[in-house]
Amino acid sequence: MNHIDPAWAWSTFQPTNRRPWNLTQAAHLYRRTGFGVRRGELQRAVAGGVQRCVKQVLHDNQEPQSFHDEMTRMTRSIVASGNLQSLATAWLYRMLKTSDQLHEKTTLFWHGHFATSAAKVEDAFMMQQQNDLLRKHAIGDFGEMVQEISQNPAMLLYLDSANNRKTHPNENFARELMELFCLGEGNYTEQDIRELARCFTGWEVRNRAYRFNKYQHDFGKKSFLGTQGALTGQQAVAHVISTPAASLFIARKLVKYYVMDEPAAADELLAPLAQRLRKDQFQIRGTLEMIFRSNLFYSEHAVARKIKSPVELVVGIMRGLSIKTDLTQVAQRLLELGHGVYFPPNVKGWDGGRTWINSSTLLGRSNLMHELIHSENTTFDNKSLQAHLQNNRIHSLAQAATYFSDLFCAVPLADNTKDQLIASAQKETGHTDQQFKSLLHQIVSLPQFQLG
Amino acid sequence: MHHPYISRRRLLQNTATTSAILAGSTVGAGLPQFLLNASDSLDKNSNDNVLVVIQLSGGNDGLNTIVPFKNDRYYAARPTLAIPKDQALKLNDELGLHPAMTDLLKLYETGALAIIQGVGYPNPNRSHFESMDIWHTCRRKTQQRDHGWIGQSVTTALPASQSTPILHLGAEKQPLALAALTPRAISIRSLEQFKLRGNQQAITAAVAQGQAAAPSEGNNGLLDFVQSSTSAALKMSQELIKSAAQNVKHNDAVTYSNNALAQNLRTTAQLIDSPLNTRVYYVTLDGFDTHAQQANAHQVLSGQWSSALGAFIADIKQRGHQQRVTVMVFSEFGRRIEENASKGTDHGTAAPMFLAGAAVKAGVIGDHPSLDNIQQGDLKYAVDFRQVYATVLDWMEWDSITALNGEYSTLPLFL
Repeated sequence: MNHIDPAWAWSTFQPTNRRPWNLTQAAHLYRRTGFGVRRGELQRAVAGGVQRCVKQVLHDNQEPQSFHDEMTRMTRSIVASGNLQSLATAWLYRMLKTSDQLHEKTTLFWHGHFATSAAKVEDAFMMQQQNDLLRKHAIGDFGEMVQEISQNPAMLLYLDSANNRKTHPNENFARELMELFCLGEGNYTEQDIRELARCFTGWEVRNRAYRFNKYQHDFGKKSFLGTQGALTGQQAVAHVISTPAASLFIARKLVKYYVMDEPAAADELLAPLAQRLRKDQFQIRGTLEMIFRSNLFYSEHAVARKIKSPVELVVGIMRGLSIKTDLTQVAQRLLELGHGVYFPPNVKGWDGGRTWINSSTLLGRSNLMHELIHSENTTFDNKSLQAHLQNNRIHSLAQAATYFSDLFCAVPLADNTKDQLIASAQKETGHTDQQFKSLLHQIVSLPQFQLG
Repeated sequence: MHHPYISRRRLLQNTATTSAILAGSTVGAGLPQFLLNASDSLDKNSNDNVLVVIQLSGGNDGLNTIVPFKNDRYYAARPTLAIPKDQALKLNDELGLHPAMTDLLKLYETGALAIIQGVGYPNPNRSHFESMDIWHTCRRKTQQRDHGWIGQSVTTALPASQSTPILHLGAEKQPLALAALTPRAISIRSLEQFKLRGNQQAITAAVAQGQAAAPSEGNNGLLDFVQSSTSAALKMSQELIKSAAQNVKHNDAVTYSNNALAQNLRTTAQLIDSPLNTRVYYVTLDGFDTHAQQANAHQVLSGQWSSALGAFIADIKQRGHQQRVTVMVFSEFGRRIEENASKGTDHGTAAPMFLAGAAVKAGVIGDHPSLDNIQQGDLKYAVDFRQVYATVLDWMEWDSITALNGEYSTLPLFL
């Protein structure tokens, strides 16, 4: 369990009898590369085979222009209104509706990586501008993304770096660039930070836009991370990314996000992935493809080895059962559960993994599901839950238990557990629809559902 | 020498562990009414010592908290941020408090505040996250860090049967300081969040069944973790409902401000004065990472924790628990001596810590860190934070060696 052979790990997954391509694996792929799908799509994915499915996820799901335009109109009108929480609602809508699930999943990854909170920036225009930036480069060029984020007004304001004078450089951006964005703690010295900070002097935000103030820029020679010279900020960013720690750092974060919360992957396991990143000059798509085609991704090291984030929890069940509800309310609940998009807790973003879980959040997750399932505003494909299930040829509680387990539980529910849940749901008085809802709520309150 | 599970005080007093009351409150709300309505007679309240930790997140500027108003070097380094001599609240001939901290000054003058100067650790790390992890676990990054100093202390000192030994009040993620291999700390944001809607009985039974089942594929530790956390949460939720009629008293004589820290401390005081035998309460105040335009933000924050602490100590005193409650205040690091060009300060090193309560030996402990004999532009530490922890754990009558990953000499911080 502890040692994973890198050669095996990154070889292309070929289904076997012991590890077949089935509903569970397909659900796993769609949960990790997006926010889940309906059961019909899972069945089609199983029939089509794993490699075709991965190709589709990575290459063939572009948003139609009409949807893209709809989202642009929506965010523009929200920016005009200035309502920050509505931006979060609009992003949830996009996660729910977009055909390019991987793109949104990865944009959310970068939002946690380049975490910037609207609570401090307090400006819808700049927050959305950053969100668009992350989306533009999400599966593209990491180097470009870092260059742009370095001059992104929301980021500079968030890191108190909207003024940076050569006499007393503000070190904050230089520190976070190395610690959180590119290299990881331990891969630079305090002296490196001080020198790197000089490269960013004269970088300012004026009228919600980046500006270079040459009178405040330190044009002198700097020396950091093994290089010397009168480096500009752009050259400094490029140099930071070119150091060996960068590819390993990004590979580690990608594996944690897409493959497994724990244990932390060994450097040796990450090395081939890091090599791929460098070979691709930090174009992200090839590395993601390597992950989603790998043995490791479909192995016991990966399946059910993540804890669902609150966003994954909610968007997943909504997509799986075609739920429509009051999204503003959902966005508010996610914020309360510590996963408000546009409102990360600090510059390090969300730690994920076990930190999602404590007594308070577990009950909060279950209660959020209860509210979602039982809300008067909630419909299932514009119907009652029972009618929706019937449309999918699910008529009994027993069939429904399996249906929910297939869709949502990374660890399938055992038969005796299902039996017990069914028995409890049957005791529910009132309309039969209530019994299905009660069953659903019980299942989404279980540990098996919390794993992603 | 302490018995690993039963403290001396415990043996002497044979305090009954009562069923837990769990209650929390969000900003602006005290305990919910149904908890406040007394009905059943109470079990005897505990007499065990209680530690309340206030974490100042982001790196509190020690130099503008304890101001060296006679030091020219301080005024030279801080042309826009220095606290003028005539505004500092005088502690003695050389040092003063930030002018927003009038309540802290009162605590000092009434002998209920110890200020420990120049606290830090060797080889200081200036990353928020790494430094906070060091303060939380007493271990460096290269060492295994799956439990925190408080979580480990409780694991060693208290029997597994004692419910709710640690309570974290707040919406942020649970601090690593409270982590333990078998989690014991409960985090509460609000009471509403702590009552399960839906069929609790059925869910509880299904969770138990899952736990009893054969191990999942490849022994999934994450699943085990979620299972044990879920059953603990369900149990606590049930206890809460059961103990809804327990008595928790208001104290209208003390006024708390209407911010999250003050309200969380208010709830803490109410819970300390209840049959709930929680030994450690943990609250945080974020926002101390003042890289730009520091003056205003630091003024507001300093005032907030000073007044919240003042109200809490007064409340605890009125309730008659002053001897057994100590508050400890810390931040992950102080800030650079020189201010930067954004009228802020960058990450630094050593900074003061604070202990408050009637059991504390009041005064300024140690010299103010030198502004001349410095290291990389930062203050050198004189007291290792683990010495403060060791002293506090000693007062709790808990072993400190395992929790602190070594033996640290204690300081004369208690009467």
